[in-house]
Amino acid sequence: MSGRAGYLLRKIGWALVTILVVITFNFLLFRVLPGDPAKSGLRDPRLNPAAVESLRVRFGLDKEVFLDLDGGNPLDTQFTAYLGALSRGDLGTSYNFRDQPVSDLISRALVNTLWLVVPSQVLAILLGAGLGLFAAWRRGRALDVAALTFSLFMWSLPTFFLGIILLVAGANWFGLPTAGRLTIGAQFETFWDLAWDVGRHLLLPTLTLTLVLLGEYMLIMRSSVLDVFGEDYILTARAKGLSTYRIVRHHALRNAMLPMVTLIALNLGFTVSGAIQVEAVYSWPGLGALTVDAVGDRDYPVLQGAFLLLAVSVVIANLAAELIYGWLDPRVSEE
Amino acid sequence: MSVVLEATATPPAETTRGAFRSFLRHRMGMIGAGMLLVALIVAVFAPLLAPYDPYASANATIEDIYRAPSAEHVLGTDDGGKDVFSSLLYGARVSLVVGFAAAAIALVIGGLVGIVAGYRGGWVGSLLMRITDFFLVIPDLALQIVLVAIIGPSLGTIIFVIGILGWTTTARLVRSQTLSVRERKYVMRARAIGAGDGHILRRHIMPAVLPLMLANMILVISLAILSESTLAFLGLGDPTVISWGQMLNYAFGRGAVSAGAWWALLPPGFAIVWVVLGTTLLGTALEDALNPRLKRHHLETPGADVARDRVVAPLPVPVEGVTSPILSVRDLSVEFEAPGGPLRAVDGVSFDLRRGETLGLVGESGCGKTTTVLGILRLLPPGGRVVGGQVWFDGEDLLGLDGRALRTFRWTRLSLVFQGAMNAMNPVRTIGDQIAEAIRLHAPGTTKGEADGRVGELLERVGIGRQRAGDYPHTYSGGMRQRAMIALALACDPDVIVADEPTTALDVMIQAQILELLSGIARDLGMGIILVTHDLGVVAQTCDRVVVMYGGSVAEENDAASVFASPQHPYTQQLLQSFPDLAHPDRALRGIPGTPPRLDDMPRGCRFAPRCPHAFERCHVERPPDYPTPAGGRAACFLLDPEGERPT
Repeated sequence: MSGRAGYLLRKIGWALVTILVVITFNFLLFRVLPGDPAKSGLRDPRLNPAAVESLRVRFGLDKEVFLDLDGGNPLDTQFTAYLGALSRGDLGTSYNFRDQPVSDLISRALVNTLWLVVPSQVLAILLGAGLGLFAAWRRGRALDVAALTFSLFMWSLPTFFLGIILLVAGANWFGLPTAGRLTIGAQFETFWDLAWDVGRHLLLPTLTLTLVLLGEYMLIMRSSVLDVFGEDYILTARAKGLSTYRIVRHHALRNAMLPMVTLIALNLGFTVSGAIQVEAVYSWPGLGALTVDAVGDRDYPVLQGAFLLLAVSVVIANLAAELIYGWLDPRVSEE
Repeated sequence: MSVVLEATATPPAETTRGAFRSFLRHRMGMIGAGMLLVALIVAVFAPLLAPYDPYASANATIEDIYRAPSAEHVLGTDDGGKDVFSSLLYGARVSLVVGFAAAAIALVIGGLVGIVAGYRGGWVGSLLMRITDFFLVIPDLALQIVLVAIIGPSLGTIIFVIGILGWTTTARLVRSQTLSVRERKYVMRARAIGAGDGHILRRHIMPAVLPLMLANMILVISLAILSESTLAFLGLGDPTVISWGQMLNYAFGRGAVSAGAWWALLPPGFAIVWVVLGTTLLGTALEDALNPRLKRHHLETPGADVARDRVVAPLPVPVEGVTSPILSVRDLSVEFEAPGGPLRAVDGVSFDLRRGETLGLVGESGCGKTTTVLGILRLLPPGGRVVGGQVWFDGEDLLGLDGRALRTFRWTRLSLVFQGAMNAMNPVRTIGDQIAEAIRLHAPGTTKGEADGRVGELLERVGIGRQRAGDYPHTYSGGMRQRAMIALALACDPDVIVADEPTTALDVMIQAQILELLSGIARDLGMGIILVTHDLGVVAQTCDRVVVMYGGSVAEENDAASVFASPQHPYTQQLLQSFPDLAHPDRALRGIPGTPPRLDDMPRGCRFAPRCPHAFERCHVERPPDYPTPAGGRAACFLLDPEGERPT
């Protein structure tokens, strides 16, 4: 298998392997490490042994964790039960919200997180690529120095602290809402009233996340463009009589976007970390806030499900970036 | 080439000292080190500096909560009625302890993984890199939260968790450094004389890897400090110690915003910024010093490539009966900016090129050949500029053209075949597209169909089928890429083509084909060709005239036959002796002892004097002018001075 189809298959295969490892890792993490209230609950001396045993059977804790080697069906284990449940989309039931399946909780939270992350990510990539390109073009001049200083400061500023500063400023000077997704208890006459309210709630969290990502992307794009400017084909283009604008537009931009795509993919963990902090500051009911709340409540099924979803999303987004790269760069089939 | 190998063969101690010097010059790095030093002093002497003990149980009353800054409490009080300033000073301890300890763990893991993966390679190496890739995709903060939540928040847990998740960048960096050191000449040499793995690792790999790891550690520290404060802010900090993240967590969670208590929020936040900014500045400076990346670029710097005070001489008057040259270079001088003042790379170079003529520009590496042609073409890299002379092209001074006129001139009158066709074509655009771009740029009315037709003709002219027009450069072989480059150079029917080392990196058979192609073009299309090369065989095969350059100026010029038959300048003579001559296979080959002069250390008199077997006193004090040679050429050597004294 060679060429582009081979590249595609290899990347998809690697992503599947990674997801499998993530699932196993996630399963083991919560089985091996101490502190699961379900297990410590079974050690309660007030429970009679028969009740404990029936609970163990009910939770499947009587089975081997990973592989049954003491006779019996080697695949009838807690792990296969977990995989089976996963394949049905069953992530268990929240300890904290008894009536709510974890899958419902996290899918609702995921939608809210996407509302926050997608606009921030798109804005940050567009602005970051544009400013980074411009800074590289005008390297050493005022705009470049300003851009570098901004990125350096943004890098040193913890996301949650930037969130707090913007929250205080936005609330005091512009009267913007500081918590939640919409005004609780408000009656909305029309769809537009609702949209206006949601938009006002979205403004500060989106701004925070955009600014944090922007500094990073700008820096990546700047150095990527500078690398391309040093390539010999840029000299060829100049010797051909192309104006600087045409050189940048037709020869530098696409080549500079290539490492940018990879680095954005590698930075997705950074985006997740930003989203978790922004959601915590603005009480935004997304995956990050759900994770942090689950930690406080020791709500392990929710924690496990949310972590799995975050990790798998990053793997899939990474795969998407690899595929975009393959489509942009004709050389990949060679590798 | 030998120069490059020599440089990489220097053992690392030399470069480390240089790196240290360049670090001291780095102002941002010194500021960062200063900021970090302040934080360290505060952390160590917190008990002496703090007016109150933040760990003492406070008997706070309701009035003590969120008191504004006053003489008693410089930064006011927090949600528990405690002095913010004192907590701030003690908070530095946690940040720095977590930062350094977690970075140390990350460094040990990352260093081991990187060295093993880089040195061993094979399946062990690829397995380790796969594991590293896996950790790179897992979202750090999410995993940190889960781990700290399960293990339980204590300072030790936090250090451990941040450490074991923070090693991936170190591992990748160390691996690539190990790989590159492993392949260097002095390591290969050590291996060849039988040094064991342990010896090579201790004596060669570690000295090269450790400084980089140190620089990387500083950056890992800043990441660890950020992670610690984030975890603490999210309520996962060690509840028994005071840290900046936790101060923010309490203040933000317990009404500081609605109380307007900015003093409880801003100081811990900016304290984090202070330490992270300091470490980042220091780390970046160290990395720059240890791993300098030369930033060159090929964009136009408008108006900077030709000196304003250049003396403009009038156009030479055509001589009756002689065809005037298409290109006349007169007294061309090029300088490069350097820390110790400008360096002259090309000094008063003159030569002519006629239509249909092939001119060889010959000399060792570093003698100014390429700089001369880049100066003529106005393609000098940043920092380089033409400081004197004229370049007459068909009656027009190229150095006086403004941006637009210059762009129109380029490729339509004069085009270029670059050294190393490997990278001279844009890898993400097809060959045909890049040739058509030049055609349509200079003949705006051309339709796409016409341009494609012309591309097909050009590719066939250089011996590539027209069906390859839609292919990308990486699918071409080296020789084919050079042919495609020639097709590109022919795209707009120029009068002159400059070919800069067009055959280096090609094997001998392909070299001959490319040269054949170039001379065929000169013959059939009547174009002038300037062939820049260090290879006298290439010159003998193709050139009508030869200009020999040494130390940035012309040593000798004449028609090719005369130069080969009776070289006049000692440099030309030695150059010819160092080159195998098929007509006299019995003659011994001799290299030229010594190296060409460095730009910052030019001899005062004749530039070749230090290496010249015939040099006498005058050569060391005076620059020789051009003297006519018996065969009708010219050479810059006092041996040819008809009135000059001869050495005894």
